[in-house]
Amino acid sequence: MEIEIQLTDQTIAEPIPPPLHAGAAGAWMEFRGVVRGEEDGQPIRALEYEAYPEMAVREIRRILDTLAVQHRCLAVKVIHRTGRIPVGATAIYVGVAAAHRAEAIALLGGFMDRLKQDVPIWKRQALPGPNPGRNLASPSPSESRLLGRGESTSLQPAGGHRPALRSLDEALAEIRASCQPLPALRAPLADVWGRVLRETVCAPADWPPCDRSTRDGYAILAGDPAETFSVVDTLHAGDWKPRRLAPGEAVRVATGAALPGRGLRVVMQENVERHGDRIRLRRRETAANISFRGEDFRAGAPLLPAGTTLNAGALALLATAGKTAPLVSPRLRVVHFTTGNELVPPEQTPKPGQIHDANSILIRGLLQNYPCDLAQGHLPEDFELARSKIEDRKSEIESADVLLISGGASVGEHDFTRPLLQQLGFEIVFSQVNLRPGRPLILGVNGPRVAIGLPGNPLSHFVCFHCAVATALAGLTGGTGPAFLRGQLAAKLDDQPCPRETLWPAKLEWNPGGIPRLHPLAWANSGNVACLATANALVRVPPNQGSVEPFAEVDFLPLGAMLGR
Amino acid sequence: MRVFFFAQLKEATGCDAAELAVTSPVNAAQLWTELLHRFPALAAHRANVRLARNWEFATPDATFAAADEIALIPPVSGG
Repeated sequence: MEIEIQLTDQTIAEPIPPPLHAGAAGAWMEFRGVVRGEEDGQPIRALEYEAYPEMAVREIRRILDTLAVQHRCLAVKVIHRTGRIPVGATAIYVGVAAAHRAEAIALLGGFMDRLKQDVPIWKRQALPGPNPGRNLASPSPSESRLLGRGESTSLQPAGGHRPALRSLDEALAEIRASCQPLPALRAPLADVWGRVLRETVCAPADWPPCDRSTRDGYAILAGDPAETFSVVDTLHAGDWKPRRLAPGEAVRVATGAALPGRGLRVVMQENVERHGDRIRLRRRETAANISFRGEDFRAGAPLLPAGTTLNAGALALLATAGKTAPLVSPRLRVVHFTTGNELVPPEQTPKPGQIHDANSILIRGLLQNYPCDLAQGHLPEDFELARSKIEDRKSEIESADVLLISGGASVGEHDFTRPLLQQLGFEIVFSQVNLRPGRPLILGVNGPRVAIGLPGNPLSHFVCFHCAVATALAGLTGGTGPAFLRGQLAAKLDDQPCPRETLWPAKLEWNPGGIPRLHPLAWANSGNVACLATANALVRVPPNQGSVEPFAEVDFLPLGAMLGR
Repeated sequence: MRVFFFAQLKEATGCDAAELAVTSPVNAAQLWTELLHRFPALAAHRANVRLARNWEFATPDATFAAADEIALIPPVSGG
């Protein structure tokens, strides 16, 4: 029997090709064990799988060799995923080829039973550990000599483990997996701008609901050859007076008025001479000058799909359709803390060594596009003081959907976002992203709530908000997250090769040919703020790229006003 | 002798691996004595832990030498 075994920390592909040689097989049976949405009756987001890889592969092979004696199969492929696996994703894949289905089914059943007894793989709920405070302490080096085996996971004690560095794509994927839509609710139209529609809205009736005149003029029978007509009625917008017109009859109609019946056309008043109750056509028009019933949309037609972010136009459409209480994402509750002893409020004069806090107003401004209730505060750069301050505002923090902490995210001795979040019961999903600016970016989850630790400088805030925070907010609201587009560099992007992926601030303009053209903006480090006022796009520069020549095609993220809000 | 810890044993010991000062081969009981001396918290897990030697479950009469890779296998839960 041919045996193939893989342990991987990557998503298990779909579909997986059957073994090439298995021409003799009459059965190719596949089994996927997926992560259930609950564990011990509690809803979960993900499970964390850990393996002793060398032994797990040997043990799987030993089990399969034993079973093959009893159940004669042709080939088996086993793939077990490790690391954090979100709900719904495949944790184990087993494919069995056999001449007949009975052997394949028996081998699969026997294998899964034995796997769960003997293969050194462990899973646990990817939620805060039983004692989050423990992670603050490092094991004493004299007690245990760390050999640095394997990758640390988010559940390991912080001390002695290097945090795993995520690529931007990995980090965004983990944010998407961690941020599930919050329960939707119905809210009045006036309150739902910027929220995400959570139901598909269909037209309750034809629009327009009847044939309407698009001109001030006279309605006559469409095929009436007469030159002169007697005016038998007058209709204003809002009137509803159906009647059957006879040849030679006309009805005075205003723009927007419902026509008295079908099979009509409207003659513009400019093409008519009126004498008392009679009109004479000066010129025949070809246009009917009618907005026909249902020409915009028909009853039952889908108007807005679930997931639409409600802009002013979408609200107008909902109002037209009479949908006054759409099902939408809730207004988010966001708590934002700044940290850093160097920061003073903008209205205060900084002493030497101090600077104005720009992050508070930056975050407030960036959140304008996301309907939310924002509470802000400042934390002292001392773990115990910060902890007691957080204790004071605990109920506010615990009721927040999103907790943002600025600064304190790198590895300096004053940095404490990570332990602080753990103290608050957040499980740290990642704390390092291979991104410039923005490497010390932290994601924590605690049930349905998320926390994001943003690197301290305003430019890092700007970049991390537009990629990480925007992705989290889209996940929580059920909306569409940021997506990269293709554009062209308008000028040289002058850079040294950097091992990190870069999101470079740029000014996006549309050239006459309709191609988005990106002007890279000058910045030397993440403390620079001059480019913030101009940047409306972020150009993606791959790791180790260095400079990018003018007219090169690049990926970019459109920001703010460019998103059509 | 290198000993690896997994799952809840990482938390019990505070590390994922350790080096034990074993020069001559020891049996399972002697190995446990050494382990519990270094990591008293393992005592609570001992009844449920299987020993592995060089990537295979160790038989009850196995001996463990300095060059062996040892692992403590708590109850597994893969799949």
